[in-house]
Amino acid sequence: MLEIDNLVAGYGGVPVLRDINAKIAAGEIVGLLGANNAGKTTLINSLSGMVKPISGRILFLGEDISKLTPQARVELGIVQVPEGRLVFPEMSIRENLLLGGINAHARKHRPQQMEKVIGLFPRLGERLTQSAGSLSGGEQQMLAIGRGLMAEAKLLMLDEPSLGLSPLFVQYIFEIIDKLHADGLTILLVEQNLNLTLRHAERCYVLERGQVAVEGDAETVKNDPRTRSAYLGL
Amino acid sequence: MTELYQALAQGLLIGATYGLLALGMGLVYGVSGVVNFSHGDFISLGMFMCLALYSAFAMDPYVSIIITVPLMTAIGALVYIFLIRPMVGHQFLMVVQLTLGLSLVLQNGILMVFGGEPARTPSFVESKLIILGDVVLRVPHIVAFVVSFALAIGLYIMLRSTDFGRSIRAVHQNAHAAALMGINVGRVQVLTFALGIGILALAAALLLPGTPIQPTQGLRYTVITLLVVVLGGMTNFVGIMLGGLIIGIAEAFGTIYLDGPIGLLLPYIIFVAIMLFLPKGLTWSSAR
Repeated sequence: MLEIDNLVAGYGGVPVLRDINAKIAAGEIVGLLGANNAGKTTLINSLSGMVKPISGRILFLGEDISKLTPQARVELGIVQVPEGRLVFPEMSIRENLLLGGINAHARKHRPQQMEKVIGLFPRLGERLTQSAGSLSGGEQQMLAIGRGLMAEAKLLMLDEPSLGLSPLFVQYIFEIIDKLHADGLTILLVEQNLNLTLRHAERCYVLERGQVAVEGDAETVKNDPRTRSAYLGL
Repeated sequence: MTELYQALAQGLLIGATYGLLALGMGLVYGVSGVVNFSHGDFISLGMFMCLALYSAFAMDPYVSIIITVPLMTAIGALVYIFLIRPMVGHQFLMVVQLTLGLSLVLQNGILMVFGGEPARTPSFVESKLIILGDVVLRVPHIVAFVVSFALAIGLYIMLRSTDFGRSIRAVHQNAHAAALMGINVGRVQVLTFALGIGILALAAALLLPGTPIQPTQGLRYTVITLLVVVLGGMTNFVGIMLGGLIIGIAEAFGTIYLDGPIGLLLPYIIFVAIMLFLPKGLTWSSAR
């Protein structure tokens, strides 16, 4: 579904990512691991179009999307649930969800899509008029994921969904992620939490200083000594 | 007592239009972080356009808005795209400098075309009065009040319950997240600025009847608008409308009760007094 081809990207012409090659097949759940500053967020922001590539290509469903605007990519179904959730704090849950489906492609199906999201997160449905800023961290993460689903994502990219959540909520969020995966959604899971990701992802890429250090299925990545060194910066 | 009612009524009527002027500035500040110091000169521009249309076609200012509003909206969009956008995101002071420069260009442009003599644009309602008990109200003020409030309510509904309005609020609250939703942030910024200038064209027509205009008046409107926006907490809708009413009333009280310079200073004195006690302005958090 997604193919990253020799991608070099960064800020102000200074590369952060160097020669990234990666693939995600339809229906797969892929983990993107790495220590702080390894380039994980830069990579998914490149996929979202928020960071412009310096060279290389990104193919989505066979088409080169590396020059497309963030809006065009959302319309294609490449949807990011950002780190820190970034819900719109002064708007209600309902308005946050409506904004999730504001792109030209998803706009028409918002009522149906909202029902699905509420089915998945009944807790959001109970407080549709409450402002997003008044929710707990875990509830905000539910809202952020729900908002992403409203966009009719084909590839859902979750940036650090476990960040700052209580263990109980982390477990709940990962159950939801497994459920979405079981329903056939393609997921890119960006995480710092190594063991958690290895338990849920089918395949993983480990980034180290802007390059892919290790790749393979969960077992391979787990046993590769370079994974540990990428984390410890050795 | 009559004087008090008179001052209150007059202040409220004018204050609503001040609130409307400030809403445009607040919206623009909210989505682009730009404070437009040529705001008042765009009001001037709108007024002089009305004057030109009156001179050429004897068009009433209330009628000329069908031409001035679309024209000024388009000018607003062009100004944002070609002048302001390249500066946004760099230095805040650069944008301030730019809009100050724009203010001088507009002022002198108007001076070149229309000359420096104060001019008046007649309107059919200009000298009509409504007398309520002892209070005398000028019809143009009533029109300005009603239209300003109707527009403010319309804007409020637009912000609350349309996709465009929600996009504006999303960009204001978190531009990065808004872009991730598929909102074209650049487009929202241009449209908001254009909308802000378009509102000025309307406000210009509302303020015009009976008021002598001159090219150098822009700064006065800019300052009043800034007072109202700051008083309202920069982006707070209800706060800004309230701020408009307060400044309008302060101005009316100043001219009716106090003599000369002190009277003209009253809005500023009240502004400083309020800011001393409420440095964040008249915030009204539920209304954002």
